[in-house]
Amino acid sequence: MEFAVSAFEPKLVAFVCNWCTYAGADLTGTSRIKYAPNVRLIRLPCTGRIDFMLLLQAFGKGADGVIVSGCHPGDCHYTAGNFHARRRWTLFRRLLDFVGVDLRRVHFAWVSAAEGAKWAELVNDVKTKIQALGPYDAFPKRLDGRPQPAEVA
Amino acid sequence: MEALRQRARELLAAGTVQAVLGYAAGSEPDRARPCFVRTAAEADGLIWNEHCRQNLATYLQKPEVRALGRLALVARRSTLRALLQLAAENQLADGRVVALFVADDGAVTELPTLAAIEELVARLPRGLSDADRQELDRIAALPLGERQAYWAGEFARCIKCYACRAACPLCYCARCITEANQPQWIPVSSDPLGNLEWNIARAMHLAGRCVDCGSCSDACPEGIRLDLLNHVLAEEARTQFGAEPGYSVRKDYALASFKPDDKQEYIR
Amino acid sequence: MPRIGVFICHCGENIGATVDAAAVAKAAGELPGVVHAVDYKYMCSDPGQNLIKEAIREKKLTGVVVGACSPRMHEPTFRRACAEAGLNAFLCEMANLREHCSWVHEKLPETTEKAIDLVRVMVEKVKRNRPLFPINVPITKTALVLGGGIAGIQAALDIANAGHPVVLVEREASIGGHMAQLSETFPTLDCSQCILTPRMVEVAQHPNIRLYTYSELESLEGFIGNFKAVIRKKARGIDEATCTGCGACIQKCPTKKIPSEFNAHLGHRTAIYVPFPQAVPNKPVIDRAHCTYYRTGKCKLCERVCPTKALRYDQEDLLVEVAVGAVVVATGYEVKGTDFFPEYGYGRYKDVITGLQFERLASASGPTLGAIRRPSDGQVPETVVFIACAGSRDPAKGLHYCSKICCMYTAKHAMLYKHKVHHGRPYVFYMDIRAGGKMYEEFVRRAIEEDQVSYIRGRVSRIYEKNGKLIVKGVDTLLNSRPVEIAADLVVLATAMVPQPDAEALAQKMKISYDGDRFLNEAHPKLRPVEMNTAGIFVAGACQAPKDIPETVAQASGAASKVIGLFSKDELSREPVVAVVNRTAPPLFSTCVGCFLCETACPYQAIEREEIKDRNGNVLKTVARVNQGVCQGCGTCVALCRSKSIDLQGFTNEQVFAELVAL
Repeated sequence: MEFAVSAFEPKLVAFVCNWCTYAGADLTGTSRIKYAPNVRLIRLPCTGRIDFMLLLQAFGKGADGVIVSGCHPGDCHYTAGNFHARRRWTLFRRLLDFVGVDLRRVHFAWVSAAEGAKWAELVNDVKTKIQALGPYDAFPKRLDGRPQPAEVA
Repeated sequence: MEALRQRARELLAAGTVQAVLGYAAGSEPDRARPCFVRTAAEADGLIWNEHCRQNLATYLQKPEVRALGRLALVARRSTLRALLQLAAENQLADGRVVALFVADDGAVTELPTLAAIEELVARLPRGLSDADRQELDRIAALPLGERQAYWAGEFARCIKCYACRAACPLCYCARCITEANQPQWIPVSSDPLGNLEWNIARAMHLAGRCVDCGSCSDACPEGIRLDLLNHVLAEEARTQFGAEPGYSVRKDYALASFKPDDKQEYIR
Repeated sequence: MPRIGVFICHCGENIGATVDAAAVAKAAGELPGVVHAVDYKYMCSDPGQNLIKEAIREKKLTGVVVGACSPRMHEPTFRRACAEAGLNAFLCEMANLREHCSWVHEKLPETTEKAIDLVRVMVEKVKRNRPLFPINVPITKTALVLGGGIAGIQAALDIANAGHPVVLVEREASIGGHMAQLSETFPTLDCSQCILTPRMVEVAQHPNIRLYTYSELESLEGFIGNFKAVIRKKARGIDEATCTGCGACIQKCPTKKIPSEFNAHLGHRTAIYVPFPQAVPNKPVIDRAHCTYYRTGKCKLCERVCPTKALRYDQEDLLVEVAVGAVVVATGYEVKGTDFFPEYGYGRYKDVITGLQFERLASASGPTLGAIRRPSDGQVPETVVFIACAGSRDPAKGLHYCSKICCMYTAKHAMLYKHKVHHGRPYVFYMDIRAGGKMYEEFVRRAIEEDQVSYIRGRVSRIYEKNGKLIVKGVDTLLNSRPVEIAADLVVLATAMVPQPDAEALAQKMKISYDGDRFLNEAHPKLRPVEMNTAGIFVAGACQAPKDIPETVAQASGAASKVIGLFSKDELSREPVVAVVNRTAPPLFSTCVGCFLCETACPYQAIEREEIKDRNGNVLKTVARVNQGVCQGCGTCVALCRSKSIDLQGFTNEQVFAELVAL
């Protein structure tokens, strides 16, 4: 039974660390586990490198949901980057919630290099949830006239 | 008030300080303005009342003020906390400032060292005023959509004048993130995304550092309650990480430290 | 203008079957700044790499994006290819079209759209890439080894034998450590000193080893390849160069009843002493707290009998500065007292002793010359009870961890006792027996089966004295928890192994991390077991975790080989993915305001303070500087910096921001 339903396809941006989640997503690939193609990964060395401003920027660029993921506590390649990141997230989430940003659109996860299946489940789950929420129209968008980062000569 | 003037006169006459930074009568009866008193004779201009709210520690980082030499600073609780936090952040040398703490009853305590400030601040009552508390709780209790609408409405009035930043004793960066343009983190003009980004960035940059003086929202020409954002984060940093900024000269920044068992129930 | 080349790989069918590679290349070719875009069956093959090299030369590319597999797979391959064609390796980025796209999605238009997105993001990033060059750090090829136990001795000898100078620092008067105190070693029962003392002598005579005994680390500054260590050489009270070690002073010393540390307080020593006869160096020290001369101002008997006039009563501590390129921490452990279990009566009853004390009783060089005689009256004990886990594995009363060696040394003690007192009755109370190791299980079986040691599975609740016997009350959990009572003549407690009392202070001094039990934290529990988080500092032995001699020696050799590896080049070459604090024109010098909140966020202590001075040397400003020899490039400081004054090379704010804008 087929319906011509054009379901809302959310745009997801994932900020991941190089050593655990990026490698975990690689494993999803090597294991040929399928998941929704809605997600775009931004690879950074460590969750400690993920500036909260980048999350706002992702929403401003039209992301309907954001995933932030790195090594499990104690597994950080840099030993403590994820611990620092976690504190930052705790405060950032509190502030987002207070100013009315929908926390159901910001997902945090630990996905190790061995958790290829978890990565696929995470993306699918976030996609389904955001699909139910619909497009994130309430978040202000980047205006077209806004200065772009200077192009390198 | 007279006690304050008297201390100012003595400190200037003895040459202990080169200037006293305090409050003078403002252009309206319900306003006070900061003033630099350089001579004992000028000390009569100093006032002390409920309108003397601005955190004067803000001025200490300005090169012109640095050039004045040793200062006495008329201080409230949050001024003292700002001094300690500035010291913890390597921005204030011990002995550069003599704090003149004015208690509710007008009694003046002279605090020549950071250690003396630490000791006094530890004894002062803590916490938000009832009015701030109520406003905070009211907004936090709004349904998500209304909360979003409330702040969108507030931030829509923001004109990006950065008075909040100028008034904050801990916004002393030589270059603010708003001035960084490679990349342009926050747009120069006032637009809904940029206004939201600026206000979130400001609050996050003060998380675990804010000393609850409220100078930011006092300075806001649009009357946006920016201080509430700081209060929310201060409360979270305190309950989650035990952060007590402005009570010690010891560097203990909640966002540059961690415990392996910090809360993480929201992380799957 | 940037001139970017985009190379889309089919990876055979791996990408090509799901993603329309030609369409991706075509779309990429239309992106601003892209001057060349092609697809090819196997980009990593030689012809594929040649496509890239030729395009770099012919089209004068300023950046390359390879849309292929994961960068974790082939980034080095393509970066090398770029470098070979004269393009800086760091101007090459990869878009992960296989693991993150073709392998995980169906053959749908969305999948090709995603591939185009991934390429566009990388094109925007690579436009902002800068050429980066490996960071070279000079290396001082001298190692500092802290601790002269078996771990430090092994590490020092290995490094010295590889031809590098070693500075070995030991805080006691002699090297040897705990191993010198042991009687025999499990599972071979060879004499500990017999295998150790030749190594000690080798250390003393090795031309590459400079030995500082009775010395401690005062401070350590610097970073990998370039440390400056200050060693406090404590005043011995004698001139080591003149002293011949004849021992006349020791024989004449009138203060003879000082409990001997080496004998675990079971024997005595004099105020001027060497810890044990085979000490290296064999030069005495004066224990000023007990020496009659220092206490009363009179005596100097030792000076009178010294044939070489080597005594120096007014000697002071000496601070020695050494430049080293690497440090091996091998500071060992101590045996915890039994304050956890006051009901065992240690300290109250003379005949309740620790395992280390039993070692001294069983040692031929010990206070009883190897005869098992109990401390109270010197009688040979007929019944001896050994209690395992007296402090370990008991989170409620003692320590939560397993001290690892007690099962084995308890079996050894029971065996040694039985070998020396044939009619004796040894009992062992234990929780379980952990005998993992080569010939270890066999060793324990031998104790039980051949030497008939009675093993009782259960804990001891109490020990008290009655009619000259120590009544040990316990329980046998294998016999329906039947209470057991043994009248013993001697009780030996297998007390826990804990770090040295000042382990924490030393770790703080060296800025290395330690765990809740004060054991040092290795850089990675599995893959970097001998390195500390701080580059250039290595660890060996029980200061890292409880371990036995073979493991300690293995770790020491491991640490030594890491040091030798480091010293194998004149310069250390490091990936340039490191954080950098910006520098600007005066009067700002840097947008950094010097709040140094990043300092504690750095897991590697790579943030330093730099004073910017005017011509007259006046400090104008203090700003942060990242030590590129130490930084590992996590970027935690970058995200923390409010004024965006720190950036991470290879993952700059500008690059990441551009990636987002391109989405």
